[in-house]
Amino acid sequence: MKLRNGYIMPVLLMLLGALMGFGLLYMRNDYNINIIYTGLIIECLFIVVCSIVVFTRMGDKFLVLFSFMLISIGMLMICRLDIERGLKQIVWVGIGFVAFFGAYLVYYFIDIWEDYWYLYVGLSVILFVLTLTIGRTVNGSKNWIGIGSFAFQPSEIIKILYIMFLSCHYSGAWTKPIKEKITPSIMTAIVTYLFIGFLVLQRDWGTILVLFSIYIFMIYVYEKNPLFLAVNVGAALVVAFLGYKFMHHIQLRVTAWLNPWEHIEDIGYQVTQSLFAISAGGYFGKGLGNGTPYHIPEVHTDFIFSAICEEMGVFVGAAVVLLFFLLAYRCFKIALKATNPYNKSVGLGVTLMFSLQCFIIIGGVIKFIPLTGITLPFVSYGGSSMVVSFISLGIMQAISAREERGERSE
Amino acid sequence: MSEVNEEERNVGLAEEKDTKTDKKIIHVMIVVSALFLSLITFLLYINLFKTEEYAQNPYNPRQWSEERHIKRGDIYDRNGVVLATSEFEKEGVQRRIYPEGNLYSHIIGYSSRVYGKSNLEMEYNSELLGKNDFSISFDNVKQGSSLNLTIDNRIQKYAREQMKGRKGAVVAMNPSTGEIIAMVSLPDYDPSSEALEEEWKNLAESEDYALLPRATQGLYAPGSTFKILTSAAVYENDLEDTVLEDTGGFEKDGIKVANYNDKVYGEMDLKQSFEVSSNQMFCELAYNMGGDTILEMAERFGINKEIKFDLKTEVSRIEYDKMYNMDAAMVGIGQGKLLVTPLQMAMIGATIANDGIMMKPYLVDSVERANGTVISETQIKSLGKVLDYDTAGFVRELMVGSVEAGTSVRASIRGIQVAGKTGTAENETNKTHSWFVGFAPAERAEICVAVILEYDGTTGGSTAAPIGGNVIKKYLESAGKN
Repeated sequence: MKLRNGYIMPVLLMLLGALMGFGLLYMRNDYNINIIYTGLIIECLFIVVCSIVVFTRMGDKFLVLFSFMLISIGMLMICRLDIERGLKQIVWVGIGFVAFFGAYLVYYFIDIWEDYWYLYVGLSVILFVLTLTIGRTVNGSKNWIGIGSFAFQPSEIIKILYIMFLSCHYSGAWTKPIKEKITPSIMTAIVTYLFIGFLVLQRDWGTILVLFSIYIFMIYVYEKNPLFLAVNVGAALVVAFLGYKFMHHIQLRVTAWLNPWEHIEDIGYQVTQSLFAISAGGYFGKGLGNGTPYHIPEVHTDFIFSAICEEMGVFVGAAVVLLFFLLAYRCFKIALKATNPYNKSVGLGVTLMFSLQCFIIIGGVIKFIPLTGITLPFVSYGGSSMVVSFISLGIMQAISAREERGERSE
Repeated sequence: MSEVNEEERNVGLAEEKDTKTDKKIIHVMIVVSALFLSLITFLLYINLFKTEEYAQNPYNPRQWSEERHIKRGDIYDRNGVVLATSEFEKEGVQRRIYPEGNLYSHIIGYSSRVYGKSNLEMEYNSELLGKNDFSISFDNVKQGSSLNLTIDNRIQKYAREQMKGRKGAVVAMNPSTGEIIAMVSLPDYDPSSEALEEEWKNLAESEDYALLPRATQGLYAPGSTFKILTSAAVYENDLEDTVLEDTGGFEKDGIKVANYNDKVYGEMDLKQSFEVSSNQMFCELAYNMGGDTILEMAERFGINKEIKFDLKTEVSRIEYDKMYNMDAAMVGIGQGKLLVTPLQMAMIGATIANDGIMMKPYLVDSVERANGTVISETQIKSLGKVLDYDTAGFVRELMVGSVEAGTSVRASIRGIQVAGKTGTAENETNKTHSWFVGFAPAERAEICVAVILEYDGTTGGSTAAPIGGNVIKKYLESAGKN
């Protein structure tokens, strides 16, 4: 495969940018050599992964480019906030790349995904039940499972399982009604609301929003009967309204969104601190290490975007959004090109997952929509998020590779 | 044959379904793009319109984290008298000190951890923290820049004393440069953090609106001081030779406007009418000139337009949808739907003093680094020619007459020709506002003063004029002795 300047130049620029960023961080942190190591590991990982993707013809070359850029911005910020966390996160990035190739290979060579919708549901339900029984509560959400010192968020994995489940139906592979009565359309609706029910018990509002929006978009694309869409949207509105009326947690979130300034000392605290940080940065930011992002709670995970805006400026913030935009664009393109209906559906689902997650968390921290805590894919600190984002990326890569190599799995 | 057709149709159907799905995926893509764009737009919106508000929020810890290391800059009057300074109480905690107590609460304002910042402390926050001074990051200078004001502390102090605690405002400015020499608003308050914390509830809820900077944001009916403007319009419309039989008041369209205390002056010309401040004469003239003429003149003087100033200002305003002749008659004597700030009146007086050219008022003369180098210096700026030389001269003569032989006589100073105009403005209560606007020396004015005593119930001539005269006198006496 020939490489044109159009590809080499951005790669070199990104390598240079990361090098300068980590170099600056190194000097500002009493010459802590670990920062240089972290930077070098990222650069090496990127060169290796990029080469593999390009030279083994793994499909779309740009996906890794955009995700690497997001990772390097995120890693830079995590290292600046807490170098210990940075060192842990770099391990997760490494594991993530392994998961990326793993997912790619598995998805590329195995071709029976559309037949096992009940497996995806079963696995998800097991994870849900485990979370509720042996799970840990972190920040009011019971959505962690710990095994020894290792903990992960099952909801991250469930998102992918859910997309694969939906695609079984929407690709047209699963048409047989259950017991002659329950059509797959009804069954997907039942499963969706079951999942949402579990997530309400876990108080994981962010994941509910992501899953449900994916579901609505999927209905829009695939269901022939417009009434079905209307009923689901209507039901959602009614449930949301009832939730707002009777559920204390949802009320708090809406109040904190509509007027955080009046509740600045309690429920409005997070989002106002985030807005303070964003406005402190201005267009070009205060400079890496010059801001005071520690005032924002959860700054390394959910609120990392605010810290990026404070120190690197709103322009870099907008650039992060644009990177997600580009990533989503390439993913949409892959989904559009895919000829295998199952791949097309999974591709669309994963694309929506990236885009919506980005919109929901960034919209939340800038007070555009009510805040619900989820991670920003590739940027936030956290192992489960990083690994699952990479698995999703690997799947997209596999779909694109199949198409590019002209292999139809029919 | 039929089998082939069937197959072809199936393929066709599948393709049709595919394109339909793709079309819908593109719809989804458009929606997602819109979501991303809305995020960027909202980010830019925050940065364009909300930054200031968020930065000033007292809960924003950034305000204080900067002040842990950077000593807030001092503020000086024009002669180097310290008006505000800071000292570190202990590592990382500094205290703002205002040596003059209440005197500058409406100019400098406060800088409190709890209640945020106001006035110059707010408007010049970044300068005071040295943010525009790039040398800070390199030289490790841990001190913000200082401000040199145009205020003369002696005059400021004196003007406040002269008010004797009454509510109102005094604005003194240099007509030819726009420098604010003194700007008193009363009631005022102690801006130190300790006092604020103790008094805040009282201040915020006080019926006297102690936190309102009256000089720049108080809106009052100007009363007869507005005849300065009307006279300018009279001269421009060649009506200066009007002679009128004064019968004690103006009456038209069923509305009667009496002279002050229902006085009947008999036959008189414009000069005499200005001296005694006859309402009949000016109502009559304004009525004849009409609403558009009066409004046009007022807007030339900056009414209905925001004053760009170092502090926030309220817009002086004439609020009519359509100004009829009767409205013009009311506005012509400074009543009706007309409200002005004391700063605006001082600027109007200063324009007459400065031969018709209005100068941009300013408070901060220069911003100076801790090592003495000046970072920025305010340039004197004209806001344009409001009146031509002759018109300004004509109005000035009328004002000289008012001080020499009219209602402003108590503003006169021995040996110096003073020009002035009083006002006794009716308002929604039964207690009038007392006004005086004047400048001296009349031919080559060095200072123009506007004084208002709000809801004082006295006449401008008896209370406001002496204060104005005294402030002018004090300034002219001390001007040579810097």
